Amino acid sequence: MTDPHHPEPDPLAHPEVRQASLGGYVLGYALTVALLGVGLFGTRSHSLPPEPLLVALSILAVFLLLAQAMTFFGLNFSRYHVWKTVSLVLTVPLFILSIGLTVWMFHALDTVTMMPEMPGMSIQPTTLQ
Amino acid sequence: MDAGPNFDGKLPPLWHYGETEYDLISTKTLGFWLYMLSDALIFAGLFASYGVLDHNMNAAGGPVAAQVVHPVAAFGQTVAVLSSVLAYSLATVALKTGNKAGVMLGIVVALVFAAIFLVLEFADFQTLFAMGATPERSGYLAAFYILVATHGLHMMFGMLWMLVLLPQIWRSGFNTDVVTRMLNLRLFWQFQASVWVCVYVFVYLRDSIQ
Repeated sequence: MTDPHHPEPDPLAHPEVRQASLGGYVLGYALTVALLGVGLFGTRSHSLPPEPLLVALSILAVFLLLAQAMTFFGLNFSRYHVWKTVSLVLTVPLFILSIGLTVWMFHALDTVTMMPEMPGMSIQPTTLQ
Repeated sequence: MDAGPNFDGKLPPLWHYGETEYDLISTKTLGFWLYMLSDALIFAGLFASYGVLDHNMNAAGGPVAAQVVHPVAAFGQTVAVLSSVLAYSLATVALKTGNKAGVMLGIVVALVFAAIFLVLEFADFQTLFAMGATPERSGYLAAFYILVATHGLHMMFGMLWMLVLLPQIWRSGFNTDVVTRMLNLRLFWQFQASVWVCVYVFVYLRDSIQ
């Protein structure tokens, strides 16, 4: 509803529009492509044993998500973005609980309830060999 | 609160324009942000089931993860999805100056890269199907296809949104409604880049080293 005495403010002047940043977007793009490329190189070159490589890849993913939160989504603690940041921070524990607890629970279930593999019992992949 | 007349005999105003004005754009973008967080929880559920089913036993004698994922080929999808997100994001940089041609060009380029992404994804699925690696083959494959295809479905809906938005921009210019829709689509589209980071790292890269 537009009040004739108070014309609608220019939507292009809104902070959500002003936050668009050429440098930020290009930086987010370059970081993501470059670091995923590094991750790909790491898995192909077998420069690290599997366990440390998995840890390094997880750190890389978390770093990229944080970098995208700042460069793409423009999250910060300013007046116009603080509630996005707060709602994300409150949701992160839900991600950790839903993924972490599920995987941990089934991993423990597998260890406790499954018989150790006997020679000749293991299921071998066949289809794509 | 006393709703009676003020000392001067006039009723108090019910609301003020100006300082206390209802900020339509912020309200809608925050609402859409909260929707995206709930959408992210859907992905959390899918990643959790993938984490559970990504086990040789759940391959049920069929192809295992290392035979299904091809991270080098999927890097093409990575570049395509990120280029699409960059193109759309740059369209919103052009929006700052009200540059209609720049905005529409950015959206069209974003559409092209999104289409390239989907073509690459479908080609990957076709290769797997031809080898008998279909979703009903095993629990692992069902989890793999549902996770990856849910992201693909988001890409399709984003493309549809762009196709609907282009004529609106052309016809109405940058009024509050169109600008709000563009901002929400930016949020939706950049979210696809974040989801793809998780898909690429935890499905394609992680499974290829096991």
